[in-house]
Amino acid sequence: MAEFNVRSDAVNVEQIMEQIRSRIREKRGVDYTEEQIRELATVKLQKFLDPRGVRSDLLEQFRKTQPPYQPPELPNYAFEENTLFDSHRAPLRAIRRLLKPILKLFFNPNPLIQALNIQSRVNTMLAEREARLEASKRSTESLYYELIHNLVVETTRLGIEVKNQTMRIESMSSRLEFNERRARALESAVVYKPSPGDLVVTAASAPAAPAAPQRESRPPQQNVPGGVQEGAPGEGPGQRSRRRRRRRGRRSGPPAAVVMGSGSAPGSAVSGTTSHSSADVSEAPGDHQPQSAVSQQPSSEAAPQSSSGSEPESQ
Amino acid sequence: MKLAVVVQRYGLDVNGGAELHARYIAERLARHADVEVLTTCATDYVTWRNELPVGIVTVNGVQVRRFKVKHERDPKVFGRCQTRVFEETHSIDDELAWLDAEGPTSPALVDYLTKHAGDYDFCLFFSYRYYHAYHGALGVASRAILVPTAERDETIGLAIFPPVFRAVRAIMYNSPEEQLMIQTVAANEHGAGVVVGVGSDVPQNSVPARFRSKFNIRGPFAVYVGRIDANKGCQELFDFFQGYAKNPYGKLSLVLIGNSLLDVPLHPRIHYLGFLDDTDKFDALAASDLLIMPSYYESLSMVALEAWALGKPVLANGRCDVLKGQCIRSNAGLFYESFDEFNETLSAIEKHRWLSSSLGRNGRQFFRENYDWSVIERKYLDMFERLRKETGSPRAISAPGWLDRRRTDVPPAREILARLPKGPALGSVVPARRPA
Repeated sequence: MAEFNVRSDAVNVEQIMEQIRSRIREKRGVDYTEEQIRELATVKLQKFLDPRGVRSDLLEQFRKTQPPYQPPELPNYAFEENTLFDSHRAPLRAIRRLLKPILKLFFNPNPLIQALNIQSRVNTMLAEREARLEASKRSTESLYYELIHNLVVETTRLGIEVKNQTMRIESMSSRLEFNERRARALESAVVYKPSPGDLVVTAASAPAAPAAPQRESRPPQQNVPGGVQEGAPGEGPGQRSRRRRRRRGRRSGPPAAVVMGSGSAPGSAVSGTTSHSSADVSEAPGDHQPQSAVSQQPSSEAAPQSSSGSEPESQ
Repeated sequence: MKLAVVVQRYGLDVNGGAELHARYIAERLARHADVEVLTTCATDYVTWRNELPVGIVTVNGVQVRRFKVKHERDPKVFGRCQTRVFEETHSIDDELAWLDAEGPTSPALVDYLTKHAGDYDFCLFFSYRYYHAYHGALGVASRAILVPTAERDETIGLAIFPPVFRAVRAIMYNSPEEQLMIQTVAANEHGAGVVVGVGSDVPQNSVPARFRSKFNIRGPFAVYVGRIDANKGCQELFDFFQGYAKNPYGKLSLVLIGNSLLDVPLHPRIHYLGFLDDTDKFDALAASDLLIMPSYYESLSMVALEAWALGKPVLANGRCDVLKGQCIRSNAGLFYESFDEFNETLSAIEKHRWLSSSLGRNGRQFFRENYDWSVIERKYLDMFERLRKETGSPRAISAPGWLDRRRTDVPPAREILARLPKGPALGSVVPARRPA
């Protein structure tokens, strides 16, 4: 995570806010710890995948926030035949009733009364209809809400599933990469470890030397025939040719398991190389001899070699 | 020079932002001119009940003339009128009815002002949204100077106010954001106007230890000073702070100062102290690590200026254009728009002492350069001088006719508000940014 790094008295608030925002973006986007990722991965199981969890109490909360629908009490003027002439004062009412015939001389109020009466009833009907429609609309809204809620839940679940899968893929690819690297390292990390066989070969090629294999009595290089003389100083006998053979084996030879493998393989390999060059030829006895020599070694030395199978070759 | 300061409420106990602003300005200008305050008998901004006697009194050496309010506010009527003008297409008459319902309706004040306008060289009207400012400014337009204290709310979208903004001789804005907003609404760019704001008498002898021992506050803390109200963003502040407090590395407490209209959560790191006098308030600011201003709507945050004057950084709500603009211009505060930002900014100020001290230093500098009383007084006096030199020809204000006032074609105020530009005004109207 980028650290907050304005270190000056000349503070620029906009710059600081930009840094803070980028920090937040980083935190949200990439900088999840392993624990957070695991937590995210388990969230889906705990909260979303549970079918009972799908219908959470959100809908109930929604209903709570929306009070039950009460149709409004709309004003409606009940218009009857006598409404126009009505009054809470009795004398006035009587006078109006008396003067009604005179009024009718000027115009006919009956159609007006009739129309207003119809209008009043229509108003009532419309209000009832409106209330019914509103009630059904509210119930539909609840359904929509539930549907959208379920969609949101599903989308969230899918999102987390995708994240989970991405994490798994990342994890697998990193493991694969690690394994590949390990394999390469095992192939290339060759450390020469002189085997008792080499010493035996040396002893065999130098008749004057004592037969017992001793490191201190290793003969000088000029005594080793062929290409051994061209090798780097300090190289053991047969090491250079062995390296060359290994290279060849990698390029076109038999599989490593065969070349480096069990008892029968070296014999065949040696038989294949004896006719190639003098170096190989000179090496051949060394390769043959150790097999027999190894078999003659004390069990305490033979055990590690046999446990690794082709250790002298593979190194 | 004789000046009238016309404001809805006035007194030592009146602590509203605009009212305090008016009192400070009146007291300061009284050093240079003969100042008379014209106000109402009300002290409560909700009911506008007549609580003080009619007549003349002297408050801190300034003569105050009070007038009766015609009627108290009826919340139902006001609510209905407000819904009508904010939400629906309406008429000018509806807006005038809203203005009347809002209060404090004091025709006596307006009558007096109209009759005695000649006695004053200039009349300073505070808070454009009230009855006295609308009718008074239109009544004595040739002498009127408006201090609108406008916030970004629906009221600015009402159709009755742009003529007032155009009619007055000058407007003393609180912030560049306010200026931009009013100019957008009223197209009054050619009128005289200047961003002034208000100063504050910040004591230089605040004692942080006195506050800590008096209220038993230990450790670092952030302070909020003001009305504790959901409209001021306090509910969001509580939620965010409780989220921050879950962070084991955060050590800040939250100290709340002011009257509460909201239930303060019971939390070991939230301390509610109620209303404090100025000495304790400034001690608290001096003792604090920072001031938090969670308000969504501010015309000018005086408490933020006071915090800056004391060298304290401010953490403001970034959704308030004015606060955000002030923070950017001063380079003395951070701002947040979400919990993540709140958490990060608060942690940044808490952890990085260099940042906190740099912001505080910038704030002190910003206050000195822009809000010191000498600067404020000079801006007012310069404006008076300028207006005196200009030919004060009365501007033609064509009042809408009977039919025009009743025509239902005025769009809802909320629509107008939504069309206004958002964000801090960081253009040329802004005072120069001077980082420390």
